[in-house]
Amino acid sequence: MGATGVAALAASCSRIDSAAGTVSSSSNLIRFPEKTEMIFLTDRPPQLETPIHYFRQDLTPNEAFFVRWHLEGIPTSVDLRTFRLNVSGHVRQPLQLSVDELRSKFVPISIVAVNQCSGNSRSFFEPRVPGGQWKHGACGNAKWTGVSVKSILDRAEVKAGAVDVAFNGLDVPPLPSVADFVKALTIDHARDGEVMIAYAMNDQALPMVNGFPLRLVVPGWYGTYWVKALSDITVLPQPFSNFWTDKAYRIPNVPNGTESPKDLAKDTVPINKFNVRSIFVRPDPDEMLRPGMPTEIEGVAFDSGYGIRRVELSTDGGGTWVDARLDPEIGKYSWRRWRASWSPRNRGQYRLMARATNAVGETQSKEQWNRSGFMWNVIQQVDVKVG
Amino acid sequence: MIPKTKSLVLSLVLAALLASCGHPSSSKEQDHGIANGKMESILHSRSDSPVHTIVMPHDEPVFPPGSGRDEFVTACVVCHSPRYVTMQPRFSRATWLSEVKKMKDVYGAHISDDQVLKITDYLVSINGKAGTGQGPKGTYGE
Repeated sequence: MGATGVAALAASCSRIDSAAGTVSSSSNLIRFPEKTEMIFLTDRPPQLETPIHYFRQDLTPNEAFFVRWHLEGIPTSVDLRTFRLNVSGHVRQPLQLSVDELRSKFVPISIVAVNQCSGNSRSFFEPRVPGGQWKHGACGNAKWTGVSVKSILDRAEVKAGAVDVAFNGLDVPPLPSVADFVKALTIDHARDGEVMIAYAMNDQALPMVNGFPLRLVVPGWYGTYWVKALSDITVLPQPFSNFWTDKAYRIPNVPNGTESPKDLAKDTVPINKFNVRSIFVRPDPDEMLRPGMPTEIEGVAFDSGYGIRRVELSTDGGGTWVDARLDPEIGKYSWRRWRASWSPRNRGQYRLMARATNAVGETQSKEQWNRSGFMWNVIQQVDVKVG
Repeated sequence: MIPKTKSLVLSLVLAALLASCGHPSSSKEQDHGIANGKMESILHSRSDSPVHTIVMPHDEPVFPPGSGRDEFVTACVVCHSPRYVTMQPRFSRATWLSEVKKMKDVYGAHISDDQVLKITDYLVSINGKAGTGQGPKGTYGE
């Protein structure tokens, strides 16, 4: 009954058709409000993946930027007349700031940064692991504009002895027994001048499902810290502790967060900075290439902010490697585009591979696994046909 | 503290708002460049209203019959849609069991011990892996 059951269930789930959203069952795409057609993982709470062709643009359009919420009660209406960002806790001057005040009373900053879900590419782990079954589109690169958390904390006058800063959004748990989604950074990290509160994304207001009206931006760190619809900042004189940090979003405390299914790591730490990786954006997997004809191969590579220094391409399954050309750097937290021209000599199947290396020599692995399906950065392989 | 917003209200206002909101039509074309100075106009272009509202797509799932179906519908779907099950690969019974236990013990779902097994039966019947292989242990977060 298994196969029939899933087919029936999947078919029934593809009948969304309302003023706000439509889904095409054949392509498994869905259109949410303020969004274009995206790869449909889940509707409630929403998880939407960016089709890879959008990564041919340096800045991922807001309408195509990936979406991932944890709790059923996501905000669907915000009144900017009453919305306030509350800053409280271990401070001398608690603040209640409107979005207009953030825009008018603080110096605006902009930063181009990749946001990437901790579980991006989870569906490629073997053995498979439970969780959002993302391919490579749970990431995106955007220009974020807003206010540094440092300037807000300075205005609030943090008291001596502050340890962590907790960030909460408007989303609410569906049951009182479910933990609210709150994340924290250390006080030093929160005050580094780069962690910021964005009121604009690519010079536009954020789509509601991407965190309107304010989103925390933590450059170089996984998306779980980028709290959406940010409404509360609480400075703590003790280490922060909750389910989403103590039990969820943890990785083995070893380089690249790798462990064996047969020997799960006992020592784990909260997920933090991106590792280095590359994603192919050209050619299309189903594109037929021609022998003797030059083909443009292209991808994007990024890391946690050291900067991409080298991307190597193999067209023979990893036997030989050549350097790809790197586009100019946009910013240290942005992804960096790479390109290579390749003229396949003969008809047949070829395996393309790309390997990125950053400024401190971190590079990509051949094998990787962890129980939660986090931090995938195995060297990507794309099989193409020449005919 | 701001009152946390959930849907259910304002449904009458929504149609009008949505009609005026629209999608930022220029974003697809705006590639490579990092445009400056456009924010002011765009931030205010959604609508004259300071209230910004969306209507989420609504699904009407139909669940295949099977033992444990009622328990699944009652205990699981209150917090998430069934796509959280159907998007997963076929997992072993051990993996599905640990997922249900995780929902109960860690996430705080209201599931009795008896329901844990019935829900597991249902998940295995609609998306289980044949054989007795022990899958990876369930984990938290995504």
